[in-house]
Amino acid sequence: MAKQMKHVDAVMVGMGWTGSIMARELTKAGLKVVGLERGSYRMPAQDFTMPGIRDELKYRGRFELMLDNGTETLTMRHAPDETALPMRRWGAFPLGDGLGGAGTHWNGVTWRNIPSELSCDRIWKTATARKPSLRI
Amino acid sequence: MAGNHVARRGFLKGAGAAGTLAAAALTGNIATAAEAAEAKQAAVPSEPLLTLNADEAAFLSAAYDTIIPADALSPSGTDCGLVTYIDRQLAGAWGNGARMYRNGPFFPAKPEYGYQLPLTPREYFAAGIRAANAWSEKTYGKSFDRLMPAERNAALMAMENGSAAFDSFDSKLFFEAVLLSAMEGFFADPIYGGNRNKVSWKMVGYPGLPATWAAKAEAYRGKKLNIEPQSIADFS
Repeated sequence: MAKQMKHVDAVMVGMGWTGSIMARELTKAGLKVVGLERGSYRMPAQDFTMPGIRDELKYRGRFELMLDNGTETLTMRHAPDETALPMRRWGAFPLGDGLGGAGTHWNGVTWRNIPSELSCDRIWKTATARKPSLRI
Repeated sequence: MAGNHVARRGFLKGAGAAGTLAAAALTGNIATAAEAAEAKQAAVPSEPLLTLNADEAAFLSAAYDTIIPADALSPSGTDCGLVTYIDRQLAGAWGNGARMYRNGPFFPAKPEYGYQLPLTPREYFAAGIRAANAWSEKTYGKSFDRLMPAERNAALMAMENGSAAFDSFDSKLFFEAVLLSAMEGFFADPIYGGNRNKVSWKMVGYPGLPATWAAKAEAYRGKKLNIEPQSIADFS
């Protein structure tokens, strides 16, 4: 049974670097924001200190900071006529977990914006002009 | 990456010359060689194995000593603690399938889909070693650990290129799993049982945990950094 929560202006899914910066901006603008997070709470002083954090086998080899592959995964296929199969162990990419889980393995890759992203503002304003009640 | 590592250690050329007998490692004797050149098989009390049986330990010891022979660079794989390393790993959470998606259904899959078997690492090593020894018996008339060094080289090479026809088991993937465990045991922090005396870190000039050598990068470009590497235990 879904639990009905109190209505807010915006819900941030993930409260790491991106979510917390956006939540800060939205609350500064006067909106009421709820942030959702899954997994454990992590703070640099407790969780990212020497010597443990330099344990390459644990983190790079066994993906201890990442989403537990035993509880959750995703399926992939490489062509429409193939059967999608689960990733049984993280390989090409891992999924993050916990507070800032994506931020911990962000490789500094920031792709160039695609055209639709550059016109987000105009598209959004057009859409909200048509539906004034739409909330972000 | 795996292939480069094998080539760098002179995998096929060096192993025979080293003349290490893996049988010595069967009992788990570990040399406490401080330096690569002083590799000895010291009479240190053997450590009890947590999960490997004698056949499995003998196979892995022989395989590790072929991949990492005792030479000027390092003691043998077994003497660096690799059998201890894999034994602890297979006995622990990882070996028993932690952090691995194990629900069915299971389908035969192309290699690019990654690992798609229902076996835990512990079960995978057990089945793989059985299949490898059965193939070795059929091909050479004896189990892998009883082969001469040159035969071990040839046998591992046949597994590496997939020409070793194991009974309903992929020899190439099995070789890759053994090689990966060798690299992990050899290079991981010594708290895991391998990389004894930080031998691999000294070999490649890796300073260990303190990553504070950026300022010296210019002065030491192309030169060996002769410092004692520091491991997790050194900070604890």
